[in-house]
Amino acid sequence: MLSLIVFLPIIAGLVILAVPSSQKQIIRIVSLLAALAQGVLAVLIWRGYDPALPGITAGPGGSPLGSFQFVEKVPWISLNLGGFGSLNIEYFLGVDGISITMVILTALVSAIGVLSSWTIQKQVKGYFILYNLLASAMMGCFVALDFFLFYVFWEVMLLPMYFLIGIWGGPNREYAAIKFFLYTLFGSVFMLLVMIGLYFSVIDPVTGNHTFSLVAMASQENYIKDAILGPDNVMWRYIAFIVLFIGFAIKVPMFPFHTWLPDAHVEAPTPISVILAGVLLKLGTYGMIRINFPLFPEVFHASMYVIGIFGAINIIYGAFCALAQQDLKKMVAYSSISHMGYVLLGLAAGNSEGMVGALYQMFNHGTITAMLFLLVGVIYDRAHTRQIDKFGGLASYMPVYAALVTVAWFASLGLPGLSGFISEALVFVGAFSSETTRPIAIVSVLGIVFGAAYLLWSLQRMFLGKRKADAAYDLEIGADGHEHIHFHDWKGKLDLDGRELAMLVPLVLITIFLGIYPMPVLGMLTSSINKLVQVLSPVVMSQM
Amino acid sequence: MHSLIQLSIVVLLLPLLSFVILIFFNRRLPRRGDFIGVGILGTAFGISAYIFWSVIVQTYDPAFRIAWDFTWIDLGNVPGVGPLQIKMGIVIDNLTAIMLAMVTLISLLVHLYSTGYMAGDKNYGRYFAFLGIFTFSMLGIVLSDNLFAIYIFWELVGLSSYLLIGFFFEKDSAADAQKKAFLANRVGDIGMWLGILILYSQFHTFSFEQIYANLAAGKFALSNAWLTAAGILLFMGCVGKSAQFPLHIWLPDAMEGPTPVSALIHAATMVAAGVYFVARIFVMLTPDALHVIAFIGACTAFMAATIAITQNDIKRVLAYSTVSQLGYMVLGLGVGAYSASLFHLVTHAFFKACLFLGSGAIIHAMHHEQDMRWMGGLRKHMPWTFATFTLATLALAGLPLTSGFLSKDAILAGAIGFAKVEGGGIFYLIPVLGFFSAMLTAFYMGRQIWLVFFGESRTHLKPADNHHADHHAHDNHAVHGDDHHADHGVHEVSWNMRAPLVILAALSVFAVYSPDPLDGAKGWFMKMIPTPATVVGEANPQKGALLAATPAPHLAGIVSPSEVVASHPAAEPVAEEHGVASAAAGHGEEKGGHVYSDPRQAEIVHAGHAAHYTAIYISSIMVVLGIGMAFVVYVFRIIDPEKTAQAIRPLYLFSLNKWYWDEIYEATFIKGSIVLSKILSWFDTNVVDGIVNGVALLVRKFAFANNSFDKYVVDGMVNFTAFTVNTTGAVLRKLQTGKVQTYVAMLILAIFGYFVFYFTRLIY
Repeated sequence: MLSLIVFLPIIAGLVILAVPSSQKQIIRIVSLLAALAQGVLAVLIWRGYDPALPGITAGPGGSPLGSFQFVEKVPWISLNLGGFGSLNIEYFLGVDGISITMVILTALVSAIGVLSSWTIQKQVKGYFILYNLLASAMMGCFVALDFFLFYVFWEVMLLPMYFLIGIWGGPNREYAAIKFFLYTLFGSVFMLLVMIGLYFSVIDPVTGNHTFSLVAMASQENYIKDAILGPDNVMWRYIAFIVLFIGFAIKVPMFPFHTWLPDAHVEAPTPISVILAGVLLKLGTYGMIRINFPLFPEVFHASMYVIGIFGAINIIYGAFCALAQQDLKKMVAYSSISHMGYVLLGLAAGNSEGMVGALYQMFNHGTITAMLFLLVGVIYDRAHTRQIDKFGGLASYMPVYAALVTVAWFASLGLPGLSGFISEALVFVGAFSSETTRPIAIVSVLGIVFGAAYLLWSLQRMFLGKRKADAAYDLEIGADGHEHIHFHDWKGKLDLDGRELAMLVPLVLITIFLGIYPMPVLGMLTSSINKLVQVLSPVVMSQM
Repeated sequence: MHSLIQLSIVVLLLPLLSFVILIFFNRRLPRRGDFIGVGILGTAFGISAYIFWSVIVQTYDPAFRIAWDFTWIDLGNVPGVGPLQIKMGIVIDNLTAIMLAMVTLISLLVHLYSTGYMAGDKNYGRYFAFLGIFTFSMLGIVLSDNLFAIYIFWELVGLSSYLLIGFFFEKDSAADAQKKAFLANRVGDIGMWLGILILYSQFHTFSFEQIYANLAAGKFALSNAWLTAAGILLFMGCVGKSAQFPLHIWLPDAMEGPTPVSALIHAATMVAAGVYFVARIFVMLTPDALHVIAFIGACTAFMAATIAITQNDIKRVLAYSTVSQLGYMVLGLGVGAYSASLFHLVTHAFFKACLFLGSGAIIHAMHHEQDMRWMGGLRKHMPWTFATFTLATLALAGLPLTSGFLSKDAILAGAIGFAKVEGGGIFYLIPVLGFFSAMLTAFYMGRQIWLVFFGESRTHLKPADNHHADHHAHDNHAVHGDDHHADHGVHEVSWNMRAPLVILAALSVFAVYSPDPLDGAKGWFMKMIPTPATVVGEANPQKGALLAATPAPHLAGIVSPSEVVASHPAAEPVAEEHGVASAAAGHGEEKGGHVYSDPRQAEIVHAGHAAHYTAIYISSIMVVLGIGMAFVVYVFRIIDPEKTAQAIRPLYLFSLNKWYWDEIYEATFIKGSIVLSKILSWFDTNVVDGIVNGVALLVRKFAFANNSFDKYVVDGMVNFTAFTVNTTGAVLRKLQTGKVQTYVAMLILAIFGYFVFYFTRLIY
């Protein structure tokens, strides 16, 4: 099941390879079908998932599969390295509460990304092959339970992203693409080193061999006491934690490693921005939850305060930077930085409320930010500019668009009744309840005000008031005596068309539904998070 | 589930239904669906009236309370806490029942009135949809049984006000005002949120009932300073919503919304929410927190009153009077005059709604003229409006026989009592500011009545260019494009706008609330809304010591969970005389047959009662003084207002410019934030990204250097080696000649060389 959901897009990519590049519509439809099939599989996995099983670590009695579900585990690479023993890499997939929400999110955002890619005209075949490769790799990252396999997916993801920004992007695309690529590569090199260190420090309790299994690594009793990353080697464990953390923090992106994000977003085409903000950023925090924290719980415990401070910096610094932006897409990019700060803050709290909030925020940020970037794309398609000051009074002329923007903007500023509120609230509840992060939570609430400030200000400048003199559109009086506006060389419908509504309405509905009744997502999270909090708690560690 | 709970859920959801129907389908419905809005609100009011009747009239029990909740978020078995759920629920007590009826009634009247006032607007249907969600949000606050739910609806009220204040969003002033309202409210909200977090972090619950039970049981692990902080922070929410100093700045600007919306915001919803919320958390406020609240309220009441006296816009005068009256309510809660304060909330809601709707009628009739300087003489043209507006004005000024007199007097009496109990000194500032504001209120309302309704029409005095500018600055709805000049065309408004005025004016008469025109405490309201017993009674040990003579175990007064689950079938025969009762009657008998548990509260209420007649005398003198001054200045023209203004110009400008708060905030917080955002953005691009690009540049430079090294040094060495080998080879090749003589000669040379080497080694 999981293999299918991971490799479906690649299969679609192979099919596309066989389609002549002139058949653009067929290529698009094949991709859409693959994405929809992925969505159906995600729903099946969701229906078949038992939320009572926590996952995270090995199950009771040291069962190596833990209480993960939909597990697929076969030996993949077995090399005899002579004196070094043998290298055992497994093809090990499975989901628990932490990953299943991300699987659903990935399927959803991928499908919406395909719809959004409909307007791509340049080298359609190449685009969709890369897009499908990216979709597979993302999904693979979320379900891989073997560190080596995770690393492979992680690296595979980089390549299509690099080309998708570098070829289909805006004017400064090459700079943005290479920046993205190098930054992430920088992080993953360290990850590789830590991964190898971990391999030689952990013994699979069943086979007695070294293993890359993340499930085995998450149980501290599987570590060799005096190995490089064994419990006795405190300094190396700290170093490993820090470099691994930086590797993931780059993806989040956490201040000060965030500057690739605004560039990448500004240059990337709309669907790629949607994928980037909707899914890719989550891999950073997912990596922390899946790998960084449970593998080094005592180091996590020691660094909660620091992580929280970085979270707060992200929240407030991101909000202030967003306030200063003139380019709407850049503003949304900085808002992503600000909102991912809530995830960091929630994780730093280290208690169930905070961590559930953080994971829920990952899901909600995925849907809400996807909406924001799609909406930015809508106006960019029409006006060929994203300068906030080039608009004004749009609410009068594009009422449906304005209504959806209002919903998305208010979702982003955390209005109750919309999903983002619940996750932010839980993050604050958690961060404040933990005495470690309480002062940080007090400072971070400023983010609530400044988040509202930049969003409402941009809303006002673009949609309220009247048309500005140098606006990106012309005003004309129609035959019926009403005012209309007209964008230069835009032939399509002025307000949202069917395809745009098909992308946006599902996201709006999800945002509203999960804002009123969050349990469908939270219910899957809670047992895993409660288990994780237990694994991370100092009480458990001291018994170790 | 209790049938009243079921009904209250229906009441809550009906306006939401109205919103959903109208936002999607208004263009497909006849009359843009306004009848749906009015009809749904009519139904909601009908049900609320039934709830009111069965709770207040039939049950008539001060301790009535029913509650119901359900699990909203289940966090499972949380390590360190145990099973953890976040619940949502509804509580109905006397206060809820009264608020439900008040909110739905005013909302219904505003709906009805709007069918006349907003007729012809191009977004007419959307307007009614927004009214629906506004009412829904407010009802949510009223019904919630926990802090989290209140916070949710609190923010939704913020959204609704945003939508309605900016209803004429094409005007920049409206778009500015809506943003300002939302942001000012959010500043208050973060305080409130932190207050909620303090309580949650201690008890892992948001429920009022459980928090209070835990507090009463002394389970608050942090210091008392945290508890005081929690109270003040929660109160910050009220500072935002109820427009208290220093966050009052949004409210006057909110006049950019359609006038019926102003009535809704300033009377039944939003601003009332803040006061209501403080009432809900009243029992957990420590004496220190209450002092802060009292002073904030007094400052607000006084400041807003001084601003109102110089404003020329009819709605702005009313707006500042709202701020001022809200100050009274907050002051009342701060001094412990709980019942009086909530009483004022309700009486004010009715007469202020009447004033706003009346001003809307005037503005409507005057073709969107809002400046009182160009009005005058409307008494003859609009008799209904005149009569109702005047009655409501008398109530606002606090003249006897009106509802406002009863409630305001009760607050001021409480303030005097409070100052006495707290030991006088600085605390006397609170009643003094209160009385002084009462005088100012009478003055500016007298001024307004005179300028609007009496004298001759001054429309023709209006400067022409100014007129044009003003016209654009105010409500610009579609139908009124033409510039009518005053008298022709000024006529009484139609029935659907007149009926609400009459109903609201009728509700401003004393008889609705109390049989005694001089004492509100004798009425049903103050009997049904007794001051609840504090759960933090000994938070201030000094006061406890002062009143040690009173044998009152402070925990006796708590409303324990078992007592509040269902309605009290048998109300204790408590001494209702002073409007003070307690669920835990029987503990702590006070002098005067007064049943009370917390010594400080009891003392204040008692002193307040003693001050009742003092308050009446002083406030009557103040009101007469105020109205007298208005007569002196505007009717008899003994003092020329223009000249007076010139004579005290700095003071006049200070008041006219609203104490310059907008300018101060603009120069500090707003400018500051924008400058800071620019600095951080610059820092981001040039420093953070600069370092990244710098590192990239260094790497590239290094790569170039490496390349040169590679090319010249590494490769050079390779080439040098090759060269050396080559040359050596060439040299050596010459040696291999193939001639035997050469080889022999070389052999000899070598042997000779060896011997030389060997012997030199021997010698040395």
